[in-house]
Amino acid sequence: MDLNPHPNLTPSVIFGLGWLYLVQFLMNLGWTIRSYKKDGDHHLPGVLGGGEVPIAMWWGIYTAFLAMIAAAHFTGSSTPELFQIGMPEFLKPIIDWCVANPVRFFGLSLGSYIAIVRLRLVLARETPGWLILNGALLFLTLSMTDYDFRQIVGKPDNVPIVAMLFIVGFFTWLYFNRANENDKRIAEGRPVVEADKNEKVLTWPDLVYSELICMIAVTAFLFIWGCCLQAPLEEPASAVKTPNPSKAPWYFLGLQEMLVYYDPWLAGVVFPSVILGGLMALPYIDFNKKGNGYYTYNERKFSINVFLFGFLPLWVGMIILGTFLRGPNWNIFGIYEYWDVHKLEALNNVDLSEYFWYSLGQARPMPAPGMGLLDIAKTILLREWLGIVLTIGYLAVLPSVMASTIFRTFALRMGFIRYMVFANLVLMMAALPIKMVLRWAFNLKYIIAIPEWFLNV
Amino acid sequence: MAQKLSTEEILKLARKQTGATQPASSNPATASSEAAVPASPPSVEPSKPAVAAPKSTADILAAARAQSGGAKPAPKTTAEILAAARGQSKTAPVAETKAVGDPVAQDPKSQITEFPTAKEMVDQLKAGAKATVSVPPKPVVKMPVRPVKPEVAAVSRRGVLSTICGLFVSLVASPFALACTTLSAAAGTWVLAVARFMFPNVLVEPPTRFKIGPPSDYPLGTVSTKWTAARGIWVVHTDQYQGKDSIYALASVCTHLGCTPSWLDGEQKFKCPCHGSGFYITGINFEGPAPRPLERVALRIAADGMLEVDKSFKFQEEKGQWEDSKSFVDAALV
Repeated sequence: MDLNPHPNLTPSVIFGLGWLYLVQFLMNLGWTIRSYKKDGDHHLPGVLGGGEVPIAMWWGIYTAFLAMIAAAHFTGSSTPELFQIGMPEFLKPIIDWCVANPVRFFGLSLGSYIAIVRLRLVLARETPGWLILNGALLFLTLSMTDYDFRQIVGKPDNVPIVAMLFIVGFFTWLYFNRANENDKRIAEGRPVVEADKNEKVLTWPDLVYSELICMIAVTAFLFIWGCCLQAPLEEPASAVKTPNPSKAPWYFLGLQEMLVYYDPWLAGVVFPSVILGGLMALPYIDFNKKGNGYYTYNERKFSINVFLFGFLPLWVGMIILGTFLRGPNWNIFGIYEYWDVHKLEALNNVDLSEYFWYSLGQARPMPAPGMGLLDIAKTILLREWLGIVLTIGYLAVLPSVMASTIFRTFALRMGFIRYMVFANLVLMMAALPIKMVLRWAFNLKYIIAIPEWFLNV
Repeated sequence: MAQKLSTEEILKLARKQTGATQPASSNPATASSEAAVPASPPSVEPSKPAVAAPKSTADILAAARAQSGGAKPAPKTTAEILAAARGQSKTAPVAETKAVGDPVAQDPKSQITEFPTAKEMVDQLKAGAKATVSVPPKPVVKMPVRPVKPEVAAVSRRGVLSTICGLFVSLVASPFALACTTLSAAAGTWVLAVARFMFPNVLVEPPTRFKIGPPSDYPLGTVSTKWTAARGIWVVHTDQYQGKDSIYALASVCTHLGCTPSWLDGEQKFKCPCHGSGFYITGINFEGPAPRPLERVALRIAADGMLEVDKSFKFQEEKGQWEDSKSFVDAALV
């Protein structure tokens, strides 16, 4: 008998994964039929004998493969120690290495974002989209054979986040799919899809029926969810007892990640307010009249990219980081890594003023106890002058510099006030990745550090 | 003319007539060229030949203004219009002598009826193929001169008195004043009631001053967590802060955002589970986002030789308050 308290495979896990493979089998069965009707034939390479075969053949082979895997799970669940299907052990450290580091994780999310935008014409087609979905599902199912992965992903708290990732992926795909179609039409001088469909709007009974069906489906889904997954309740809260790790609700994990790099008043008050105010200001900042009421990418490249950058790598990426990678003591762990409370990470941080004064070979001037308010202010100003100058320069001087260089047309088109609001919003958004990079590269804690007055930037 | 046109067709027609070259919507790189060519301001429109059909309400108004213009300048600003209205409504003696000749201007109602209704405007738009739109000339409001107030030569004493009395009555006895008074009284009572809540009769929380046993309970180089859950403090006995062998009590509140850090004995540090701030055994912050060291609370040897904590005093290192002898107990003396 296996006495391992953290077994990778148990009979119930194997049996459950069998169902997951069965679902994938059914999905791909449908796709094979669709492919047979739509995709047509392709020419076999000479090695395989040449000749024309339907593309659906390959999907059929994959579907049959999934059916066999599912059957293997259902029949082999009684002997978990002999069961071999799962994420290969040699891959786990490689994947952990890739994600369990903020620099590599952020690079990865930024890279995927750029890849999505650059390869949009390929990725947003139907077959590549289906391939990506299959890859993601296969990765999830294979990873489920790992005990630590299961602990994180299978937590009732985190189930909706996994669902959200698929939903975000689907809607990003949908947007690019529609935008590509319209961009092609615009380039050819034809009206966009939405204009073509403008003639009539289906209301009764089409719209009402689909709404009713959606309503019933969602209700049923919530019922099943509520019955199958227990609510993630914990012990009564206590002010002196903080769970380790302590995580914000999933939609605030971006804020919590921001708090690692910024002072609470900035990351908890100023930035959220700026995000909300900035989102409200967007329609007034935008002067591009195109893209109104129809999908397009080419006509709104700048706005789409600013939004997607803020949403995908900065917001959703942070939610992924906070949910799946942050563990005890807010250290970063790989997805297959055991959450060790005693994992050591060197995170010594230094303020900019410390760098400055120590490089001069001097101690930082600190206000002595008993000093007058004016003297304290003078000392602090002297100590932090570099950070203050840099911050003011970033928010006050840089907009003008950008107005005469990269945002020339924007500044002309928007007028002074609108441009200034726009430039400051862009700079504030850029401040987060900049501070993150500074932290990783130079262990920089605060650019302006005035703990005496609770003012740190 | 009677032919019904869809909105799209009307727009197309209007665009054709203005003769503006429609920018190719397919070119994504037109952002710069668009920026260079600013949209022509609507005020230019009326000066164009009459073929141009009006597009917006602004255009129609502008056209009306242009047609009526010249001899009789129409009121332009709100202030002027207000001044005109004021001049007409007041039956000042001066107004009679300088009566405005224009009958249209005198009757504000007739002014309003002269304006085209929205339906008329739409009809005109639909008939856009027709050359000129017969916008009814905007009625000209002749600016009446503001009546000069007669100089108040002298105010009688009784007049002043009665004015003051009237003011007093209207402030105190009018229904409006009564309502205001009642409202402020109610609000004031409410504020007082809220203030009273700040000073409850019974305080259900642990006392801020409590004894934690003799100093011998806390050997050198240890952090005691036995008071953390109940009272929110760590008792530390170490010689690492400035080389002085001392006992002090640290408040178990992270200086970043207020979570309770955990004392990790193996790593000899306090580590916050919320954002990863780390503090040495001395309480000095060294990793993560916490901007300042943990705070000490007052600690002293009571008369019976026990250590006594007083959480109502805080000592912050960055303010130099850890020098204060109330913030620690010198272990060499006990």
